[in-house]
Amino acid sequence: MTSLLQGLKNIKWKHYINYIAVGIFAILFTLMTFGGSLPQSTLYMLEEITMNILLSVSLCLVVGFLGELSLGHAGFMCVGAYMGGKLAVILSKTALGNGVLSFVFCMLLGAVVAGAAGFLIGLPALRLKGDYLAIVTLAFGEIVKTLFQNSSSESFGGPVGLRTPRFDKQYLFIIGFALVLLALFVIQNLIRSKHGRAITAIRDNEIAAKATGINVTKYKLLGFIISAAFAGIAGVFYSFSHNYVKAEVFDYNYSIEILIMVVLGGMGNISGAIISATLITVLNTELQTILTGDRAVLKDVIYALILIAIVIYNNAPALRSFRERFTPRAFVRRLLAKRKGNAYNADDDARWDVVPTKIDMDEVLSVDLKVVESTMRPDKEDKSDE
Amino acid sequence: MDFIITLVNGLSLGGVYAMIALGYTMVYGIAKLLNFAHGDVIMVSGYAILVFLSFDPILAIICATLFCMLLGIAMERVAYRPLRGASPLAVLITAIGVSYLLQSLAQIIFGAADRYVIVADLGSITLGEVKIDVGTIITLGASLVIMMALSLFVKFTRTGRAMVAVSEDRDAARLMGININRIITITFAIGSALAALAGLFSLFRVPTIMPTYGAMPGIKAFVAAVIGGIGSIPGAMLGGILLGVVECICNSTPLAPYTIAIEFAILIVILLVKPTGILGKKRREKV
Amino acid sequence: MKAKRFFGKLAALTLTVAVTVGCVFGLASCGGKKNVNYAENNTTIKIGVSGPLTGGAAVYGVAVKNSAQLAINEINEKGGLDGILFEFVMTDDEHDPNLVAANYANMLEGGMQISLGTVTTAPGLEFKEFSHDDNVFVLTPSASGDNIPEYDNAFQMCFADSNQGTASAKFFNENYQGKKVGIFFKSDDEYSTGIKDKFLQELSSSFTVEEASFKEQESDFRTQIQTLKDCDVIFMPIYYTPASQFMFQGKNTVKSTAIYYGCDGLDGIDAIDGFDINSITQEVSYLSHFNSGATTGAAAEFIDKYNAAYDEAAEPLNQFGAAAYDCVYAIYEALKVAKAAGKEFSVTTSASDFCDILTEVFAGDFVFKGVTGAPESDGYSRISWTAQGFVNKEAVKYVVKECTAE
Repeated sequence: MTSLLQGLKNIKWKHYINYIAVGIFAILFTLMTFGGSLPQSTLYMLEEITMNILLSVSLCLVVGFLGELSLGHAGFMCVGAYMGGKLAVILSKTALGNGVLSFVFCMLLGAVVAGAAGFLIGLPALRLKGDYLAIVTLAFGEIVKTLFQNSSSESFGGPVGLRTPRFDKQYLFIIGFALVLLALFVIQNLIRSKHGRAITAIRDNEIAAKATGINVTKYKLLGFIISAAFAGIAGVFYSFSHNYVKAEVFDYNYSIEILIMVVLGGMGNISGAIISATLITVLNTELQTILTGDRAVLKDVIYALILIAIVIYNNAPALRSFRERFTPRAFVRRLLAKRKGNAYNADDDARWDVVPTKIDMDEVLSVDLKVVESTMRPDKEDKSDE
Repeated sequence: MDFIITLVNGLSLGGVYAMIALGYTMVYGIAKLLNFAHGDVIMVSGYAILVFLSFDPILAIICATLFCMLLGIAMERVAYRPLRGASPLAVLITAIGVSYLLQSLAQIIFGAADRYVIVADLGSITLGEVKIDVGTIITLGASLVIMMALSLFVKFTRTGRAMVAVSEDRDAARLMGININRIITITFAIGSALAALAGLFSLFRVPTIMPTYGAMPGIKAFVAAVIGGIGSIPGAMLGGILLGVVECICNSTPLAPYTIAIEFAILIVILLVKPTGILGKKRREKV
Repeated sequence: MKAKRFFGKLAALTLTVAVTVGCVFGLASCGGKKNVNYAENNTTIKIGVSGPLTGGAAVYGVAVKNSAQLAINEINEKGGLDGILFEFVMTDDEHDPNLVAANYANMLEGGMQISLGTVTTAPGLEFKEFSHDDNVFVLTPSASGDNIPEYDNAFQMCFADSNQGTASAKFFNENYQGKKVGIFFKSDDEYSTGIKDKFLQELSSSFTVEEASFKEQESDFRTQIQTLKDCDVIFMPIYYTPASQFMFQGKNTVKSTAIYYGCDGLDGIDAIDGFDINSITQEVSYLSHFNSGATTGAAAEFIDKYNAAYDEAAEPLNQFGAAAYDCVYAIYEALKVAKAAGKEFSVTTSASDFCDILTEVFAGDFVFKGVTGAPESDGYSRISWTAQGFVNKEAVKYVVKECTAE
């Protein structure tokens, strides 16, 4: 018993806070559904929330940890939704019907195909940087959308969309929570493993990472494939939570919406991605259902203003000291300081990593290399100019 | 015969894309910011012309251009400047926010319906068997002239060279005594003015305007700028023309439903062959 | 170290298993909630609809919102249905099927008893399943997809897509023999491709047909005009905005004696702010149930009322609006019929009960006098419904303008 308590005490709760939070909510909502006290609108919202958490957590891997900007996440989702949806149509006519087991099969297919698509997009990522890669991912999403839109009505439904069997509308969200836990399990464990450190090393400095022997090709592709596979699973979830899968839904605006969740969550912060996905979904749904009729035009204005305000508040360099004074952590620290009777000193919170005397190794090294390069051998480019 | 007409069409459409892409590429090159709201400035320009058109077409064009310049400066001041030095992704998100904001404000003020804005009926001229709209010629000519003017401006004026300096290395430029904020403000003003003119030229081709009009040209111009090499002025022109011609040729074949897919596929192929676009500068990687 | 990791993983795994087991249990015990009456606290009969109020298709949704509100206001001013007043609520779906579930559930839980479904087809395909599950009556003004009225509870006020394709092909077979036919359609739109496919299927094989298409967010049609410039008749199963752009850009290129022929989507083409339809020489006509340029009959009366209440340029009227106006009145009249037949209902009657009452009336021999459809001598058209939910009314070929080429 004491060893168990000791064990519990030794757990790094920080590592498991996501599982615990999501798990508690899952169990809470499940119990409430069994009790019959949740209205259908909340259940739909929970489906949407879990789907968006899946998407933002998986995009977080590419944007936050791998450091590549992707504007085509909805494209992977589209692939998953159509593949999973098509298999669901076929399976629903067999003995499996439309149950959990057929969901698992569809999910596997969706994940595999979307993962393959992620592999394809990961290839240009080896050659392209930053915004160039962003436009390629955007292009990928739009190409996928166009191809499915122009499919024949027998294969994928064409412009009308693919009709898919809808899963039981009361309990689907529980599967959504289970999928979120699965995604957290895979992605968090990946990030906290040595592979994860390799991935973040590539983000921080690709050439240095390469120099220390990290297989950049492998890890970049790995990041894209896992991220795409979970987007594909989210797509399968979409096809099970809707009656039709229509390609237009998965346009670049959807990708941007997911990116917003990741960025507001503080890039590279999985808990943040979960929280912001939840809040943005709730905000959008509330705006959409509260602002009816004549007031509907206001919802985008409100949404845009909130977005701009939050981003500026969160990121503006000028507001840094202000921000730091008002984070929950600073608040707790001040409370503790008060209880101990010590005066709170803001300077204690000063960040070590922004101390001006820190030398930027990047710059130093690059200057050295440039000199060597220009004296030793002329650049290819210079030759062509002459 | 039909092919020549399609080609001329493509060149004219390409001229519009090139104008937008020029603004895009300037803003990107100097402010290092993917300005998703750039397309919406085109839409604002259309509505501004609609408002002032009742006075005089020339006055309308001037007013619309000035209005868009002010809008560009305001956008930069309110939404982008506070984030200078922050993560580029944060700026991307505010740009998207500004884009949403402009679209819904346009709907609140002007309604959701398409509006016809007929600036002037310029007629058409006949060359051999080919009939070409005067608007087409103006678009193409003006975009060429503006491209050259921009190139000269960047090369030979103090401000222009300061812009190049800022885009090369912002910190070094600051140390050299260049006022970064001023340069970026000027860039936004020029970029938005170009977008306003692009709005005018697209009205020559399609005389309608609606709140969501800017989204697609914005994306297309982004693609054009990337194809040509972001930051390169002739590159933006080349990319825009290429995209316009490809689009028109595709639309004249049975492949029309796949036009967007084909355009994006071309983009991917070009980027795989030349990762920084056709005329993009190859940057040495820092270690 | 090992212990820490072990406990953490154990905790995570236990939770996953618990949740999965929970969900399997959930399915096993799949009880399903009994139909709850969300209208218990209503003081009016609530009619709801989901449609695009923002985004690219907003102009159609706004017309529906305005017209339905106009009809509701008129009914309430007349004292409602023997003192029972009506209330109208419209939520925004941006023409995006993904937003429909929230709209539907929130409207239903907010007390919606009767629905007008959705304005457009794509969201309507989601809506029909929800409304079928809960047994909520749907009379859609303008979601014209063929399988929108798939279930017993759904009816259409507009013509179904394939019916329009068939009717147009019939008209072409009878009137345009020997002419070269061009089709201009929107390749990523189910309305447009639905009509086009049926039209081509039914069109006599003696025609030579040229096709040109465009996509969402595209408004530059010069290339497509090049393809279709030699056609004698150009069939346009599209909405009026792109059609007007095609006509405007092609006025000097397309044969000056050509005929533009469209379906109900073309209605409103002569009312676009700033577009002078007389500046083009070609004939413009369409087969539809409403003409927003009508000057006689009940339709003209409605148009006057609409234009008096709303800004013509920013929120123009089109057949979507007219159909919504008719929908509200049809529901009103049907409730009157039901009351006369001895059916009991009040402001707190549940959506499901209303659905039973209304379905019986609409599937029966109910005839409604409306503003859409060919008017009889009293200025009103006669509209009835088949048991499958398709509308039965006379379509009219409206010639918006004659050919003015020399």
